[in-house]
Amino acid sequence: MKKLLTHIGFIMALSVLLGFGTNVRLIKQFLGGEFQYGFISLEEDPSINFIMLPEAEELFSMNETLFIDSRLAEAFKAGHIFGAVNIPFEDKMDTILLEELSIPKEKSIVVYCNGSLCQSSAGLAKFLQDQGFINIRVFFGGWKEWQMEGLPVEKNDDK
Amino acid sequence: MINNRYLHYLFRLVLGGVFIWAGIIKITNPLGFAQDISNYQILPQSISFFLALFLPWIEVICGVFIITGLFLRSSSLFFCGLLGGFLILIIVTLIRGIDVECGCFGSLSRHVDYKLLLTDCALLFFSLNIFFYRKS
Repeated sequence: MKKLLTHIGFIMALSVLLGFGTNVRLIKQFLGGEFQYGFISLEEDPSINFIMLPEAEELFSMNETLFIDSRLAEAFKAGHIFGAVNIPFEDKMDTILLEELSIPKEKSIVVYCNGSLCQSSAGLAKFLQDQGFINIRVFFGGWKEWQMEGLPVEKNDDK
Repeated sequence: MINNRYLHYLFRLVLGGVFIWAGIIKITNPLGFAQDISNYQILPQSISFFLALFLPWIEVICGVFIITGLFLRSSSLFFCGLLGGFLILIIVTLIRGIDVECGCFGSLSRHVDYKLLLTDCALLFFSLNIFFYRKS
């Protein structure tokens, strides 16, 4: 029993040492508060910025920003930010929908999903960045916060 | 428990291979794995992050030990713990009705469903067999 526990301790210590030792840079980024909105490296993905409700509202009122909803089509149809388009985020994204929408690469884009706990908006933002879009923001509060504030919404849209 | 020598070696090879493969995929993308853990909506962000750093190493190290026969019982006990914990997580996720990728094999992961539950049970059976195996 003692031998078993010693071996377990050894494996544990070795794993922690290797895990932390090979990820010092990530740990520093984490302690610097970089991953508080999701596990996206802002250093590696400089085109993505996280924004809060006031900034999202301001961009919406300026009417020059495209809002993209990354939730599933059913959720989008049930209700979404006014004027938003739907690009449901999947693990293996294809570019067909993006080509259909023909969005200019320099267009100001705000991506959102259900709320602060969902991750699809950050995932979609990363995909858009990989496709060459350079002005992407992720609205952290998402649909829940927007709706709760009574801001413009629409529903049953097949966009 | 099955106390057959050849099956014992087969279980070790399969279990070790699966965990080494799964571990290496996660080691190459720690942020992706942290995101996968976070998607289960059970652990806080910080714990998801730190777990994602060392958990894949446990998988690889124990996988190598299981195949080589070094620290065999403690490695299989680790796998029992990991697979048992994951089994509970799958059940809780299915009950909560959360549609989430399992995060087992990075981008090759599949959704949490009953098939995953069966796979986990099979691997847990292998681990228990290795742990309780006695040379006759």
